[in-house]
Amino acid sequence: MIKALLVRELTYLWRDRGLRNILLFGPLLGILIFYVTYSAQILTVIPTAVVDLDRSSASRDLVTKISQAEYLQIVAQPASAPEAEELIRRGDVLVTVVIPEDFGRHLTLGRQTSVYIGIDGSNMIYSTNATTAALTVAKTVSAEAGVKALMARGLPREQAKSAYQRVTLQEEPWFNPTLNYAYFLVLALILNIWQQCCTLAAATNIISETGRPSWTQFKLAGLSKWTLFVSKSVVHIGVFMLLILPIYGICFGLLKLPLHGSWLLLLLFTLVFAIALHSVGTLASSFARNPVDSTRFGMIIALPSFILSGYGWPLEAMPSFVQSVVKLLPQTWFFQGLNYFTFKDPGWLFARHYFVALGLIAVVCYSGAAVITSRK
Amino acid sequence: MRRIINIAYYETLIIFKDRILVLMLFLVPLLYAAVFGLVYVKGILNDVPLAIVDLDHSKSSRQVVTAFENSPRFQRVSGIETYAQLEQAMRQGKVRAGVVIPERFELQQQQQQPSQLLTVYDASNLLWGYNTRKYLREVITDFNSGQTAKYLAGLGMSEQQIRGVMNTVNCNYEVWYNPTFSYATYFYTGLLLMVIHQICLLSISLSVTRDKERHTWVQFLSSPLPSWQIFAGKALPYFIVNFFNYTLLLWVAAHFVHAKIEGSLGLVILFGLLFDVIITSFGFFISYVAPNSLQVTRYLMLVSVPAFITSGFTWPQTHIPLAINALANLMPYTWMSEAFRMITLKNLPLSYLLTHLAVLGGMSVVGLALSSTFSKQRKPPQHSGVLVNSGTKY
Repeated sequence: MIKALLVRELTYLWRDRGLRNILLFGPLLGILIFYVTYSAQILTVIPTAVVDLDRSSASRDLVTKISQAEYLQIVAQPASAPEAEELIRRGDVLVTVVIPEDFGRHLTLGRQTSVYIGIDGSNMIYSTNATTAALTVAKTVSAEAGVKALMARGLPREQAKSAYQRVTLQEEPWFNPTLNYAYFLVLALILNIWQQCCTLAAATNIISETGRPSWTQFKLAGLSKWTLFVSKSVVHIGVFMLLILPIYGICFGLLKLPLHGSWLLLLLFTLVFAIALHSVGTLASSFARNPVDSTRFGMIIALPSFILSGYGWPLEAMPSFVQSVVKLLPQTWFFQGLNYFTFKDPGWLFARHYFVALGLIAVVCYSGAAVITSRK
Repeated sequence: MRRIINIAYYETLIIFKDRILVLMLFLVPLLYAAVFGLVYVKGILNDVPLAIVDLDHSKSSRQVVTAFENSPRFQRVSGIETYAQLEQAMRQGKVRAGVVIPERFELQQQQQQPSQLLTVYDASNLLWGYNTRKYLREVITDFNSGQTAKYLAGLGMSEQQIRGVMNTVNCNYEVWYNPTFSYATYFYTGLLLMVIHQICLLSISLSVTRDKERHTWVQFLSSPLPSWQIFAGKALPYFIVNFFNYTLLLWVAAHFVHAKIEGSLGLVILFGLLFDVIITSFGFFISYVAPNSLQVTRYLMLVSVPAFITSGFTWPQTHIPLAINALANLMPYTWMSEAFRMITLKNLPLSYLLTHLAVLGGMSVVGLALSSTFSKQRKPPQHSGVLVNSGTKY
């Protein structure tokens, strides 16, 4: 009997052409779109305009320093500050540096002079990097000018330099040393599409039976609801896991996205998440009046869940009660765990909490669905 | 006009009979705006959990510790005294950054040698990574300035002389449009536009499929009403509700989440109306060609993430390959989100937005043409196949 139910559910999933296409091709299309979108991987080139109003050797030195700065690439040298500002407004450049007239003369005479750096802050991916680059240029330029000024006051070169070299930084970005955006986002975005596709399938679990005219006959036949829905759920979760294997294979094997933790741990974790996700879809399908409503309920949760999961904007930066609420969603645990298990390998002991949380969500949602379905 | 209003009235009645649709149109957008608003309400990443491993335990190393403790950017996590503990804490997410002050730190300073601090930060989440790196550099730059000033004072220089030397070249940097680096300003409004996009699309896309499933679409097809009147009547309620949601969500963003929404109100309304026309008309057309409500709901649900990611709203279009940019440029969201940012954040006048206006205007024309000239010819009755998952017939 159970085998017959399993085969029946597989047939239904296959015959639902729309769902079949979504499950088979949705995540694969996601891999293609997201990997190609982030194929540049690292944001290295920030278009910069330099306005050199001085045109002295000192100002040319400064232009050279800017062109050598981390991330900044000089793409325009407009004649005036308003022209450079216009380039920022139009989005043609993101950083503009204005070197004032008499820059070189003031520097030689040890007088104060100001260099203006304007940064387009409208896209923060750019502006955070641009500000860091500007800070570094400003520090270098200011220190060199200061050393020269001290030497002009009769201080030996070494002493003048040591006045500015108080503490230097050795920076180490851990877990993603090249600050690679593709490493950070591509797998998570693909898994986001995968979990949305899985939710669509899970949302059919109960309503696909109870919404049919034959449901009464089913009940009269004396078949246990428990056997029916457990069989259906096993097929669904099995399909979800079959779908994830090529995704992980392509991402880690072909695209070489980082996996610092254990394969086995990640697969087990994904399985527990698939169960928790399926339980949420099943709950939605238990109280919906028809499959369209059930799909809507599932997706109302699944669509914003990635944003709420703290994978991008961190959980710690959300108000504490929001943190508590979003932890009711299995996606929050999954995407948080994904970051740890792919980048950091924190070990099985640490992973335990994530398994327990997802397990609890599954128990609660399946129980709720069972209570509602028992009355149908 | 009367016919259009009659159809619109009929559609409104249907909307109000469908409780879930009512919730989707009137509650879900506000709910999403509220939830996302709460997520981004702080807007700025502060209090980055930081571990300081002080291996020197000197007066100088304590000054470094104090510099980080006094920074509003960092929140020092105590109890991490060794490099191994720092490594463990970073792996478990207890801290997102660490500073290691080496042994002989003070000695190196006394010997006029440059002393090096090791700073590490969690780059597995680049929001943490990039911001923390910036904050670390800011703190150390300020610390160094203080140390240089003290050093020069030790050489007998007056305060004015020190200022003169240190400000020989004063590099002032100014961040335009979003000087506080607020995520609410940068990200939240784009998210709201996507919410509006999806809710409108998902609701109007059922307007014809629902009639097809109830066998009432045939009444429209066999009526003497021209196609454009059927479209106008059925789309009108969604158009109005969607524009209401647009204004409501922007009001929430500006007043409660404090996202920066400035610029010309006229342009905000003009682009909002165009966006609304495009989604409503294409949504209707999708509904016209779609086989049933379940399929159209499923497919449209999956549009949001790829449309948002490829739009260039976050990862810039300059770094996205041409093919993806070309596809993204077919989506109204790509143009609308950029135009919206240019109006509300950059405060730019219409002259900068002519391309966006032309493209969105063109999309509106195409959408209206498709949806108002649909064929009223009845298709031959479909063979009623197997009912799958209670919703679709094949």
